[in-house]
Amino acid sequence: MKEEQKKTIKERYEQSLQKGERFWPDSIFKDAIMALGIFLLLVLLATFIGVPVEPKADPSDSSYVPRPEWYFLFLFKFLAIYGQIPILGKIEWLATVIIPIIYIGLLTVLPFIDRSPKRYYGKRVFAIGIMAIIIVSMVSLTLISNIPTTSGEGLYIAGILQTVGGLVVPLAAYILLALMNFAFKKTPAKAMVWTTVVTIVLMIGLTAGTMLLAPSVASEEVEVATTLEDQINAGQDLYSVQCVECHGDDGSVTTITGVEGLEGKVISPINGRDILYTLNDASMAEVIAYGRPDAGMNPFGKAYNPEGLTKSEIDYIVIFMRYAWDDRFEMPPMKPLFPALAEGEVPSYDVHIAPIVKRYCVSCHRAGKDNNNFLMTSYEEVLTTGDNAENNLLPGSLDGYLLTVIQGTEILDPATGEVLIQQMPPTKLMKQDVIDAFILWIMNGMPRTAEEARALSTIPEATPTP
Amino acid sequence: MWKKFYAWLDERIGLDSLYKATLDRPEPKGNWWNTLGSASLFLFLLQGATGIFLAIYYTPSPDHAYDSIQYIMTGVQFGWLIRGIHHWGSSLMVLVVFIHMVRVFVTASYKYPRELTWLIGIGLLLMTVGMGFTGYLLPWNQKAFWATTVGTQIAGSVPFIGDFILKALRGGTDLSALTLQRFFAAHIWILPALLVALIGVHLFLIIKHGESQFPEKED
Repeated sequence: MKEEQKKTIKERYEQSLQKGERFWPDSIFKDAIMALGIFLLLVLLATFIGVPVEPKADPSDSSYVPRPEWYFLFLFKFLAIYGQIPILGKIEWLATVIIPIIYIGLLTVLPFIDRSPKRYYGKRVFAIGIMAIIIVSMVSLTLISNIPTTSGEGLYIAGILQTVGGLVVPLAAYILLALMNFAFKKTPAKAMVWTTVVTIVLMIGLTAGTMLLAPSVASEEVEVATTLEDQINAGQDLYSVQCVECHGDDGSVTTITGVEGLEGKVISPINGRDILYTLNDASMAEVIAYGRPDAGMNPFGKAYNPEGLTKSEIDYIVIFMRYAWDDRFEMPPMKPLFPALAEGEVPSYDVHIAPIVKRYCVSCHRAGKDNNNFLMTSYEEVLTTGDNAENNLLPGSLDGYLLTVIQGTEILDPATGEVLIQQMPPTKLMKQDVIDAFILWIMNGMPRTAEEARALSTIPEATPTP
Repeated sequence: MWKKFYAWLDERIGLDSLYKATLDRPEPKGNWWNTLGSASLFLFLLQGATGIFLAIYYTPSPDHAYDSIQYIMTGVQFGWLIRGIHHWGSSLMVLVVFIHMVRVFVTASYKYPRELTWLIGIGLLLMTVGMGFTGYLLPWNQKAFWATTVGTQIAGSVPFIGDFILKALRGGTDLSALTLQRFFAAHIWILPALLVALIGVHLFLIIKHGESQFPEKED
């Protein structure tokens, strides 16, 4: 840069200072308001939205779909689209290393490439146009980051739109603008402005089209227990499903009965000091995750079984065992399994029966267990599955198989007189209030939702006292 | 009394000349776009303050990281607020720093005599993103663990030295306790120290050259 150019720049700056303001207090005042606004915004976000709860890291759970922080999503999506390009797309480091380095490098040395002293917007259409297209593509890639890049087979229009909008259009625009700026120096600024505007409109249109055509995949919500009470509850539910068969509902079983492959195995009770005092939480979690082959304990962690328990789930079981059986821990006041029923109230599946079934039945009544094909993991399954489905739940009748066996009476095979179904649960009947809830539910026609149950209820209207 | 005390301090530190040099300066007429730089600085200080609070309870080990954050959220008085501000502040800081960069680009404020200020600003932008990347692993939850696995994998795809970078980032071939320790050290010591140093130079250069004016037709 020539000395006189530097001088003009300095002079113009001096002039603008003459017409300007004072740093203190004029600018500081605006800065302070901005800082206050940011602080208030953050407090509101922290209070009303909070930090999303995630389960504990589980290195063995390779099925987890990783997603980076939102400000890296555009890069993530760019890599996915880039990977679709034939041949070139296979050279991963071009997209992960070379292209980002080019972008960041250009940005870094910008003052040394763009050496003209011109600062007015109208004289920098090329630079501003490129920057505008880059920013729009970053935003639109972020917006479509949820949408799958390929469907795996056939013509996938949303995928083509993504490639055109995220890669082809911006690339064409960069080349066109560069040509206008460097090759045809006489191009009027207006043509470049129009190129930029058309590109941006095209990209917005293609992004909107992609989003309309392919609704993004709903992200799966994982329930994470945060309070001690929730953790104990979650642990007890998991224990009831995974552990009860062998260890019994109170962990006191010493000889396994009725479990295929482990019949008659002698095990140590897990509810006493022998286990709870000698193993700390981490060791207990490891025993559950990796098993104890010499003692007959199967591994339950994801490392051995893709359907297995996650790290967080194993932690909940350990917490439940501590608070339920370890005499050094005191069980906090817990909510009952289901809300108590008022006089005349009809229980519903969603509110009352589902937690009961999960706690007492699902352990055996799920796929892969010996249960006469009677599965109980959902409302539909409870009503329709099983070898004796037509006799299991008889609405309005006390004679269904289910109500009979949960009250401790066996079902005999009418033809042979042998025991067809033993009492349920096999070792210990449920508490009377639980059985009563089941009876009330079936007698009233097995309503599913709380609304349906309320419609059937005959709770006397609260009469206003005069 | 106060006047005497002030005079004593002024004689030794030079408060008056400091005030003249840093605060009592003329400036071109600005608008709200000019507050983004100071907003970034404010966010950095806020992240520093909340981060120090979090460091009191946080434990950088795979066995305890998740639980210590659980404890901050449920056991510590206002722990949820401090963590909430730190969590949202990190997103906002990346956003504000980026918009600040775009503003400087659009008004061409990176040109003579402010080239060096821009260069350092790019360093600050990259380091802010680095803070986000290293801080993302610290809660040691599923999202953190797998996002970092993929993130470091991408760094490992560099030809020739990729394997070295991957191992240097992870402290081994896999994500482990060493990775967490490394990211923690980078997040609370290495990157903040560099950031403070670069922010110092950035501010010095801004005071030296003054804030740039918005360009007019003649510029």
